[in-house]
Amino acid sequence: MKRFTYLVCSLIVACMVAAMVGWSMAAGNFLVPVIAIPLGIIVVLACRAHVDVVIADEREKRIRSKAALRTLEVVVIVGAIAAIILYSYVMSIPLAPIITGKLFINDDGTQSMTIAEYKPGSVPGPETLVRSTTIRDLNAMNETDAITYCTYVREGFSENENRGLAGMTIGICLLALLATFGAFYLYYDRKY
Amino acid sequence: MKNRIRVLRAEHEMTQEQLAELVGVTRNTIISMEKNKYCPSLKLGYRIAHVFGVGIDDVFTYEESVDGPSADEE
Repeated sequence: MKRFTYLVCSLIVACMVAAMVGWSMAAGNFLVPVIAIPLGIIVVLACRAHVDVVIADEREKRIRSKAALRTLEVVVIVGAIAAIILYSYVMSIPLAPIITGKLFINDDGTQSMTIAEYKPGSVPGPETLVRSTTIRDLNAMNETDAITYCTYVREGFSENENRGLAGMTIGICLLALLATFGAFYLYYDRKY
Repeated sequence: MKNRIRVLRAEHEMTQEQLAELVGVTRNTIISMEKNKYCPSLKLGYRIAHVFGVGIDDVFTYEESVDGPSADEE
């Protein structure tokens, strides 16, 4: 078997195993991965045993190790920048939408409040207004009005919160990546 | 690191593929070594010398100026 054939076989087996694991998760059948994963490993190892050319070439090992290290460096740097930028949407006041509340006395003596959302970092005004809502009678505010108000405020910040969540996820993934790298580094450092 | 792999291969009438097979690497590795683009490990160096039946000094010569990328270099 040629090396290319072996790589194609490994790819097909990996795809089939991934599909089976995915299907089993969706179907709730947890017996399939237990059988599919070891079976996939056995098939790949059997294919590897039939490869008639060199697999573990030292030059390729060195190329891969350098490529992996460079990839790690690029991913960590770009990922850290992206994580900080995205998370700053949660922390930063200028990047958050401006929400104002104005109290009005109605003709019948009741109080109403107009809550308005303006573009982040802008001066509140008609040009920068995104949306607004009014609570007709503050003193007669019921549960539905309160929920509407809460949802309104939450929606205003949801985009920033989602970005912050994405930033936090990237940050955690980077830390996990670095921890894995550190663990392997210590392992090989002790081994050699 | 300068090497005489191409010359020794010619003397032994050996193709790159044959040498690669004998020392357990791919043909690409032999090509890179002959072009001084890749500096082999000590183990591979000895294996090559052993195949040609010569000492490692007869295959490889250390020269600062023609040094290709090695394990500890970019």
